[in-house]
Amino acid sequence: METVTPQHFLILASLLFAVGFLGVVIRRNILLVLMSLELMLNGINVALVAFSRSGTNMDGSLFVFFIMTVAAAEVSVGLALLVAFYKKRKSIYSEGMSLLGN
Amino acid sequence: METVALSVLLLPFLSALVTLLFLRKQGNIASLLSVATAGGILALSLFLIFAGHGETFSWSVTWIKLSGWELEFGFLIDAPARLLLFVVSFVGFLIHIFSLGYMADDDAKARYFGGLSIFMFSMLGITLADNLIMIFVFWELVGFSSYLLIAHYFSTEEAAKASRKAFIVNRIGDFGFLIGIVLTYWIFGTVSLEELGAEANFRPHLVTTFLCLALACGFIGKSAQFPLHVWLPDAMAGPTPVSALIHAATMVAAGIYLLLRIEFLFTPEALALLALLGAAMGLYAGFCALVQRDIKKILAYSTLSQLGYMAAAFGLGMPGIALFHLMTHAFFKALMFLGSGSVIHACHHEQDIFKYGGLRKRMPITAYTFLIGVLAISGVCFLSGYFSKDAILLGAYNLNLPVFIVLYAGAILTALYMFRLYFITFEGESRSKYAKQAKENSPLMTGPLIVLAILSVIGGYHALFPVEIVGALIEDIRRVAQMDNHLWMIILGTLAWVGGALVARKLYGKVKQDDPLASKAPGFFALCRSKLFFDEIYGLYVKRIQDPFARFLEVMELLFISGLMVRGSAGVAGLFALFAKAFYVGKIHAYALWFILGTLGFLAYAVGFIGG
Amino acid sequence: MSIVDFLFYVFATISVGGGLLMVLSRHPVPASLFMIVSLVGVAALFVLLEAFFLAILQVLVYAGAVMVLFLFIIMLLDVGPQGGKAARIKLFSLVSGILLVGMLVVVLIELSQAPDTSVVDPSSNWPELAEEATANESNLTFSPSAKSFGFGLLAKYMLPLQVSGFLLLAAMVGVIILSKKFSSSEPEEG
Repeated sequence: METVTPQHFLILASLLFAVGFLGVVIRRNILLVLMSLELMLNGINVALVAFSRSGTNMDGSLFVFFIMTVAAAEVSVGLALLVAFYKKRKSIYSEGMSLLGN
Repeated sequence: METVALSVLLLPFLSALVTLLFLRKQGNIASLLSVATAGGILALSLFLIFAGHGETFSWSVTWIKLSGWELEFGFLIDAPARLLLFVVSFVGFLIHIFSLGYMADDDAKARYFGGLSIFMFSMLGITLADNLIMIFVFWELVGFSSYLLIAHYFSTEEAAKASRKAFIVNRIGDFGFLIGIVLTYWIFGTVSLEELGAEANFRPHLVTTFLCLALACGFIGKSAQFPLHVWLPDAMAGPTPVSALIHAATMVAAGIYLLLRIEFLFTPEALALLALLGAAMGLYAGFCALVQRDIKKILAYSTLSQLGYMAAAFGLGMPGIALFHLMTHAFFKALMFLGSGSVIHACHHEQDIFKYGGLRKRMPITAYTFLIGVLAISGVCFLSGYFSKDAILLGAYNLNLPVFIVLYAGAILTALYMFRLYFITFEGESRSKYAKQAKENSPLMTGPLIVLAILSVIGGYHALFPVEIVGALIEDIRRVAQMDNHLWMIILGTLAWVGGALVARKLYGKVKQDDPLASKAPGFFALCRSKLFFDEIYGLYVKRIQDPFARFLEVMELLFISGLMVRGSAGVAGLFALFAKAFYVGKIHAYALWFILGTLGFLAYAVGFIGG
Repeated sequence: MSIVDFLFYVFATISVGGGLLMVLSRHPVPASLFMIVSLVGVAALFVLLEAFFLAILQVLVYAGAVMVLFLFIIMLLDVGPQGGKAARIKLFSLVSGILLVGMLVVVLIELSQAPDTSVVDPSSNWPELAEEATANESNLTFSPSAKSFGFGLLAKYMLPLQVSGFLLLAAMVGVIILSKKFSSSEPEEG
């Protein structure tokens, strides 16, 4: 085990981002896709705070604040859309959502 | 002055516009408007002629300005312009009045009078223009109004075909004209007539035969000389006043006027060529006129012949005399056309002269004025035609003997067919039902006849006319007056018309339904009737060469341009679209995969794995 | 190795592990619970980075509101245990996903490598924080107190703050409308 440097935090952030992205790619259930999306945002938050701390600048943390706000709004709207879609199609799996294709 | 000149142009244009927009159905109002416009034009033209006191008036304004080149719109009112202005406006006014009577029972009066107004606008434009491009613009407009007016009775196949033929043949001449204008600009750097005259004087080496012949193509097309003469006889399908105005007095004269305007550009070779061509046309048209049955076609060929005379006069180096003959010809030819119109109107639109006969007793005014016209064109002493014709023959005799011989033969023929026309139409017994019932027309129609007859008599006495009008003629008239052989020419001229009249009297004094020449000299008759097969040759060319070529081009166009280029490029775009469409599967996960692929690509580029 | 480093590794494992488990679990309810675990781990990481305000915010907003919302929806839609075709993770998706994500990880890690100065001077990793939260318009220095947050939000980032207020309002209105439309077409329950 070595001393933790800001690079470690960045590697962690990219791992969280990658795991979230994996979830987006492989899950069929839209709810889980949305949750994976949140995981990606969290990874970004970690990276931002790490930069903020190591650069001793408040801007990074403030930006995390806004990301949280936006993520909350996005989740609420996304879930409302999902509920509306469920009422139409009775399904929340992405196979039923290809109406915009050819 | 320029406002007056502008109003001279604008007045008929406005009249035509108003007729087009508002008076389509009100023929009576349109006709009165048009005649009033013609009167206004006459008044303004007289003002223009006399207000300048014989000096040249020029004025121009820049119309289009491109880099390095300006197109001007302007007026050049010098001596020839004043003469033509007088002829056009005066004869035009008389013909407008005649049309009131002739077209009284026509259905489409408004269209006719609107066309007449547009024609006056275009012709006055040619008269007053001061640069070649402006002349060309109005040239085309005159061609268009001729097309419009010939096709007045467009429901008949004959009129429709004739108007198309006139326009297309004119167009061929205009193509040469346009090439000439472009060459002029290339060589001289200007198209303004005044500047061209100055340049040609300073640097005569720039003047080439090819250039003036190219410009003369316009003349050949418009004034119906070899080989583009085939449209004029067919153009008689239009109403008779139109034939009088356009195809006798003014439009065909525009060609001669153009030659005058650019006479400083002509080389001696070109002039010699023109003289020969003109003389040949004078003779050829005479032969054709000898065997026609339609009164208007006879007069059309006669116009062709007289235009040949004018061209010959120009080619001999006497442009003033050509203008002189133009003026007198306008008077007596318009007179004869209007006279024939009077006869046609009285005989219910019958045009075959062998169905006339004995009309002198029934339509005395028409008959006697027509006789004056016949005498004038034959060159009978002391009438107007005598002076101009005699001058041409005298000049030819002294300057170019072969041309004189051809012209003299033409003069004999002129007398022959003109007297033939007179005798068959007005003398003898009435040969058809309509001729028996013919009676004299209203003063609307006979009035202009009388006026024109008076002018045909006194038109040759140039001293009687104000110097403002005839200023262009005086120099050449004096020159001819100083030539030799005057007496000999008078003798020859008198021989010509007396001989022609006597032979005509003998052959055609008493005719029945057929042409006596056909039975007496059938070979000669057939040769003349063939008109040297010009129409047939052209028709064959169009059918055998031009149509297949056009069809070939059509196939090429369908294949390559429509098919390969247009549909092909659309097809290529379609292929791309097909390819791009494959990406839109609609599945979210596919999009996510493409997204990450793209992100990786960008990251790789940023790191430096791929690309710059 | 100090306790801070050890804690870092612990909480890192917790958050990444929770995330993995969330992604790979079949039922949505355990998935959301694992997600909450992961989020709390991230909050602990924030604490390690001395961003206390953000840590609290993370727990309150993310774990406390967003995940609760998720659980609400799961129970509303009565999403049962997944079975059958819809639940299977397609093989192609899995393989390509892992490949691509692996490449992403590699690239990101490589990008985040910096010259290794910790060998020379271990104290240069984390700069010292000043006692007082000094701030002026252009340079807000990092400090763990909420005061600097307040100052930053209301002075430098005033406009984004207001805009995010509007954003939340719009989201609220949108959600109300989205749910109102469909409920008006349902028969009224007694």
